Amino acid sequence: MQLRDYILRRVIILPILILGVSIIVFVLTRVGGSPIGIYLSHEMTPDEVAQIEARFNLDQPVWVQYIYWARGIFQGDFGWSGVAAAPVTDVFPNKLAATMELAIASGLVAVFLGISLGTYAGARRNRLPDHATRIVAVSGASLPQFWFGILLLIVFWANLGLAPIGRSDASIWSSISHPTGIYTVDAILAGSISAFWDAIWHLILPALTLGYGATAIIARMMRSSLVEELQQDYVDAARAKGLAERIVLRRHARRNALVPTVTVIGLTFGFLLQGTITVEIIFRWPGLGRWMADSVLRGDQATLMTYVLFTSVLFLLVNLVVDVIYAYLDRRVTLGK
Amino acid sequence: MTESYKPSLQPWQSGEARESALRVRLNRFMGLIQRLVSNPTTVMGLAVIVSMIGIAIFAPWIAEPNFPDPYQMPRDWGAVRKPPGTPGHILGTTNVGGDVFYGVIWGSRKSLQLSLMVVGSTVVIGTIIGSLAGLLGGWVDEVLMRIVDVFLSIPELIFALAIAAVLGPSFTNIVFALSVVLWVKYARIMRAQVIQTKQNEYVDAARVIGDSKLNIYLRDILPNSITPVTVQATLDMGNVVLIGATLSFIGLSEAGIAEWGVLVSEGQAGIASGRWWASTFPGLMIFLWALAFNLVGDGLRDALDPRTEGR
Repeated sequence: MQLRDYILRRVIILPILILGVSIIVFVLTRVGGSPIGIYLSHEMTPDEVAQIEARFNLDQPVWVQYIYWARGIFQGDFGWSGVAAAPVTDVFPNKLAATMELAIASGLVAVFLGISLGTYAGARRNRLPDHATRIVAVSGASLPQFWFGILLLIVFWANLGLAPIGRSDASIWSSISHPTGIYTVDAILAGSISAFWDAIWHLILPALTLGYGATAIIARMMRSSLVEELQQDYVDAARAKGLAERIVLRRHARRNALVPTVTVIGLTFGFLLQGTITVEIIFRWPGLGRWMADSVLRGDQATLMTYVLFTSVLFLLVNLVVDVIYAYLDRRVTLGK
Repeated sequence: MTESYKPSLQPWQSGEARESALRVRLNRFMGLIQRLVSNPTTVMGLAVIVSMIGIAIFAPWIAEPNFPDPYQMPRDWGAVRKPPGTPGHILGTTNVGGDVFYGVIWGSRKSLQLSLMVVGSTVVIGTIIGSLAGLLGGWVDEVLMRIVDVFLSIPELIFALAIAAVLGPSFTNIVFALSVVLWVKYARIMRAQVIQTKQNEYVDAARVIGDSKLNIYLRDILPNSITPVTVQATLDMGNVVLIGATLSFIGLSEAGIAEWGVLVSEGQAGIASGRWWASTFPGLMIFLWALAFNLVGDGLRDALDPRTEGR
């Protein structure tokens, strides 16, 4: 298949998948019961209840209700969040900024550590650093994130008093304005060094907790693809012409080994997105994940629906981009042969 | 799989041929076991799994069951917030006098139940749906696979969280939610395998001699397609407990039950005052459980496909 046709096919199928997801989300929340509960109080008469039902179209068949809901989404109406006591759309951007800051910081940690560890291990195959990296890789896939975060808090927050909890120091936070909602960026924009350090200081532990699993995935992929590259003929050729081992590794083998790793980096995005829920609970990070967890426990349907829909669409888009990049790189590889 | 050896037997095959085919099968199985136990990390994983299952089976003899419901944490109000090493509470107690040791032991039963039920149901559902899609092809395949695509569009944990949330907080609902979410992986794997396997000559041969479709599927296609499913199922025995414990941690199990995720969550409150034990031990069990199955799953994959060994 031509690359262009492949991309076209994927883009055409995307709205169908989103439609499918939205139907699942809608049906799912209706299984849990009518959303009318949040509008009712004990003093209401059956007549008043019926009036409210009619006002929110809850007396209509389910598929008609779905269309009303979907139309609302297209008009930017995501409903009322009982947990935030505000329309979902009012609260969403700030929470999203907090979550994105955390996810991006973790992603950076994971990419940097993962590639370094993977390269280091792959170049020293079956020696001590390789075994150590394998332990990191396997444990990363098995480590309950919420438990790892709590262990870090026990050591660095409860016992050593080194790390803070939450997203910021309240007095420093209020000393600068927050145009983007991303604290580190806001601090740079305000030119405040103390605010920047405060932001980084609060980010370190949650980013490490969230990034550990992704680090493991990336390190593992980097290692195995580097091992494979190092067995290729061009590596022998580079060595034979007298290049230093360091150059062979960095300029030749590592560069090629990065191709499959890049796609894995894209796939860890879903992993990071899901991980924000527990990490935000533990570190009291005011983001989407903690909002979702609160909403789940308190039956806030509008937030639940918005969150599932939003994360799924984001997940689909990222996967699409990753697949296209992979198809592109893959094509170049086969053309090169 | 690269092996094209065809293990099942046709009616015309003599008793001798049957016997030698059995021997080949047995040899292959012994070879697999040999490769598995030659890998030290796999053996380590197996040892942990055996001990965990042992703990789960013998729980009533290790920690005296709570009456009337052994899955409910016992409360010792006379020994609240005691550190590890306290007589009668070797791993300490929680904020409400729950014995951490009791939770660690009985939690293994909850995890075993969770993983067996979820992996069992998802393997069966996924295998059936994947096989149907792969065998029938056409519009059946198209419809089933689009449903699978939609299911795969929602991140696993978030999907399971939403289902469990709608049904209300209970351990049973977590089992159900995970089963609804996780079957799709098996359906995908199985479909790809079946499509590959049914192109083999021995399937054509069986068709030519007039074997029934069901017979061909059960004797030729299924046994030769199932291998990657077993690897995924082994890995999932660990993953399921990891995701299930995460849901419990968020608060989707009944409060106060002897389940590792619930215990980590309840222990969280005490860490500010230095009570590290209530979260640490149950969390360690989750970690060991998932780690063991990951090690064995990886070992199994290497043993089945020697090309990936050492990667």
